[in-house]
Amino acid sequence: MRDYIRVCDVEKYYGNASNVTKAIDRVSFTVAQGEFVGVMGASGSGKTTLLNMLSTIDRVTAGHIWYGDTDIAEMKENALAEFRKENLGFVFQDYNLLDTLTIEENIILAMTLHKAGKREIRERCDEMLRLLRIEDIRDQFPYQVSGGQKQRCACARALINRPRLLLADEPTGALDSRSSQTLLETFTDMNQKMKATILMVTHDAFSASYCSRILFLKDGRIFHELIRGSKSRREFLNEILDVLALTGGEGSDDR
Amino acid sequence: MIGKLAFRNVRRSARDYLVYFLTMTFVTALMFAFNSLIFTKDIEEMFEVAGLMMALIGLATFFIVLIVAWLINYMVRFMLEKRSREFGIYLLIGMRKKEIARLYQRENMLLGACAFLIGMVLGVLLQQVILAILYSMIRIKYDLHMEFNQYCILMTSGCYAGCYLLALFRCGRRFRKMNIRDLMEVQKKNEEVRESHEQFKKWLFPVSVGFLALFAAFIFLGGIKGGGQLLFFLVGLVLVIYLFYIGLSAWIICYVRKRGNAVYRGQNLFLLRQFSSKLKTMSFTMGTLTALFTIAFLGCTVAMMFSDYQNKLLDVKFPFDVQVNSGDAEDDFADEIQLIGEEAEILDAFAYRIYANVPEDALTDLQDSLSAGQTDGCEEKVQSADTDGCKEKVQPADANGCKEKVQSAGTDGYARRPDQVNIWLSTNLKVFGKMYLQEDGSPDIEKIKKDSGGVYCYYDTYMKLSDYNHLRRMLGYPEVSIWDNEYLIHVKERIQNEVDTLSEDVIIEGSQGELKFAGYYSEPFSQDGHNGGDYVVVIPDSQAQQLVPYYSELAVDIEGEAPAGLGNHLDDLNGSDDEEEESEDAEEDQDIAGHRAMSENSCCGSDTIIVMSVENMVRDNLIPETRYMLSTLIFPCFYVGLVFLCVALTVLSVQQLSDSAKYKFRYSVLRKLGMNRREIGRVIWKQLVCYYLCPVLLAVVIGGSISVFMSGKFIFYTGIHSAVFYYFGLSFLLFFGIYLLYFITTYVSFRRNAGAED
Repeated sequence: MRDYIRVCDVEKYYGNASNVTKAIDRVSFTVAQGEFVGVMGASGSGKTTLLNMLSTIDRVTAGHIWYGDTDIAEMKENALAEFRKENLGFVFQDYNLLDTLTIEENIILAMTLHKAGKREIRERCDEMLRLLRIEDIRDQFPYQVSGGQKQRCACARALINRPRLLLADEPTGALDSRSSQTLLETFTDMNQKMKATILMVTHDAFSASYCSRILFLKDGRIFHELIRGSKSRREFLNEILDVLALTGGEGSDDR
Repeated sequence: MIGKLAFRNVRRSARDYLVYFLTMTFVTALMFAFNSLIFTKDIEEMFEVAGLMMALIGLATFFIVLIVAWLINYMVRFMLEKRSREFGIYLLIGMRKKEIARLYQRENMLLGACAFLIGMVLGVLLQQVILAILYSMIRIKYDLHMEFNQYCILMTSGCYAGCYLLALFRCGRRFRKMNIRDLMEVQKKNEEVRESHEQFKKWLFPVSVGFLALFAAFIFLGGIKGGGQLLFFLVGLVLVIYLFYIGLSAWIICYVRKRGNAVYRGQNLFLLRQFSSKLKTMSFTMGTLTALFTIAFLGCTVAMMFSDYQNKLLDVKFPFDVQVNSGDAEDDFADEIQLIGEEAEILDAFAYRIYANVPEDALTDLQDSLSAGQTDGCEEKVQSADTDGCKEKVQPADANGCKEKVQSAGTDGYARRPDQVNIWLSTNLKVFGKMYLQEDGSPDIEKIKKDSGGVYCYYDTYMKLSDYNHLRRMLGYPEVSIWDNEYLIHVKERIQNEVDTLSEDVIIEGSQGELKFAGYYSEPFSQDGHNGGDYVVVIPDSQAQQLVPYYSELAVDIEGEAPAGLGNHLDDLNGSDDEEEESEDAEEDQDIAGHRAMSENSCCGSDTIIVMSVENMVRDNLIPETRYMLSTLIFPCFYVGLVFLCVALTVLSVQQLSDSAKYKFRYSVLRKLGMNRREIGRVIWKQLVCYYLCPVLLAVVIGGSISVFMSGKFIFYTGIHSAVFYYFGLSFLLFFGIYLLYFITTYVSFRRNAGAED
């Protein structure tokens, strides 16, 4: 598999001269096309910062992030927006759906910003609604549907423009276990059937067990990596739990 | 502790709701400045009509208090909602509801008091501006001076406190019904777009537009007749103003649901949905804003009309320095000339007669009645030409005489009658419409005679050429000459375009037969009753033998300005003539403005809206007085217009700004979907423009049609030279100046709030 995204020596500092916080400290890794990568770590380990930089919402302090031959660390604001539009899709914990638009319209909006034609938009939208099994709620408003449905709508919106990378930030964070499972199965489907490359940030071992590879982050550094390979999901989950137990787990920070 | 908390919260509120705070400051300033118009001592002493200003400003204040109370109430509820989470926390940590309610009320009072104090300081400045404008209007020198009338301060604070009391009246109840969970949840709750019956509601939009078109068509074609129709349109307009937005929102929703082509273009989907949901939740507020804007437009337009009238027509109305009318056709005005001579330096004093072609059989009656010295009759009119006749005493004998004349004139209808010009004007001027026409289109002479003495005299009015030329000399106009067998007509400029065929329809006979028409003149000539009403027929002296002196006039040219009070002194002089009747008639002789009315055998002319026809006309006394009277209309209209405009704009701005937190989230979603900052800037721009323009557009359509219609009538009735769109255009400019100010402030802060994460 070709290296699709290369993160080279990325650093991110916050604060001022007297008080510097290193959120990300010389992190490097690659993601291949079609991979489903998970990033795990306790609260404050730098997961979301890393995701924000990958998603061009935040800028690196030092280092490079290559998407193919493009280094987004060097790009200007407008070019970044364009890049984001063409290459990235987002799924967030709190769905980020626009409450004044119906489920279908939320999906359409992402395409109209791409200046796609009416017919193409309609076809793609119908297809997405069908794939994510949210056809029957297409005319509902976000406040009328369940969290799982909202999140699937967010997925549909993220995937409709066929992005090179789907970024998911704690996508199951606000869902009950049943909906979480359905959503993660959807992610797997998207990864396998639609060949979507996914980078998911989570601190939930169960969610992470759906990934094909997991990066463990602690204090802004990658300290471990797990690859699922041909292991079953249950075996993989146990491995993850072992790693978490070794490092004090996610709970150690919270307590 | 609570006091400290309240103080800190006020500071924050003042920052968050700066626009509201500034508006309250401005409203206080306006209130103080306009109220001080009522309490200005100089003016109170100067004009007897000062009470009128008080009444009209008082009326304006009444509406303003209501609207400002609405604004405060709106804001109080609004802030309550926005801060519900904070209040939830107070409840959570154990504060009692009563305490919170008291805290909140104290905060509002404090905010109000701050705005009031700053407003008063600003008000003193504004007071200077407004007084300077008023004084320059009435042409009195104004020296800057602070005026702190305690009643004025009392009234302003009274009104202000009244607004607050009205507004906070029901606030306590809201607190009693609160519960912690609801309070904490309010913020999290997404905007719920409830769509029901949109297909049905969308028809309200075309129906509203249709109604507006019908309304415009009706008023421009002069179709609104009678109270029933007026009521229908008024109720209709109020309904339309409110239903329009429900309809528009439903229309957009249906369009988006139908997936019209525009939905798929760029950010349209986002904009349309934002706009429709905003309209949907705010339709009532939007309607109220539209109503406020409309009233503001109308207020400004009326103010503009009258101020334009002041500037353009007043000088024309009073061409002579002093002009005195006497019902006694033989009056030599010796007393008046002596009095004027005592008070000012006379350059030229010219006494002359206005003549009438009185039939012989009516002559004795006329002379009887004239010698009796009747002096009631036509006064200052502010309304149209519906005065009842005031000449019954002259009437009885001549009815037969007139009829005989008509018969002898044969096919000429009323030509050669002694009142032929009056009849012609009564039946041909647009001002009268069909008032004096019978169903078959012929003149309703009986009605004209019944009403004579109001607009026109009982007989046509004539003037000798030599007198005419003397007056022209006094006014600095070139003299005119006509042949011995000719006549000319001097008309008011307003009606000059309408009298083209007058000369063909009337036959003026001199002592040696029919005279030929030599032309019209239309310079300002004091034709509101003094030199005839609307017109005077000028004939060569040699042809005037068969004419009878009808009433007398004195025109005086004096050096410099006439002293204040000269007019009143002249009035007093006449009053002492008939002392024996005084006790009875004194009250009646005085009209509203405190001047003597003109003698019975004169008239007022067909001017309406503003007519000043008084017996003793002293220009330098009357102009400031008329200006003051007009300013009693102009100032309250501006006052109402300005306050309503500011209140409406504040609601618009505050609405948008406080929503910017919600929008911040929406824009961040758009950003993640790949929109760059410039594109988002453009979306914000479009969104604000739509939101700001919508209520204004409707108000422009409604207020515009009414304004243009009113201006048309105003121009028609006053004969002022202005385009119909002039007044509306002016108020529109003024309006947009203030509007732009608010818009820019909102846009800048909105961008800052919404794009803060950048």
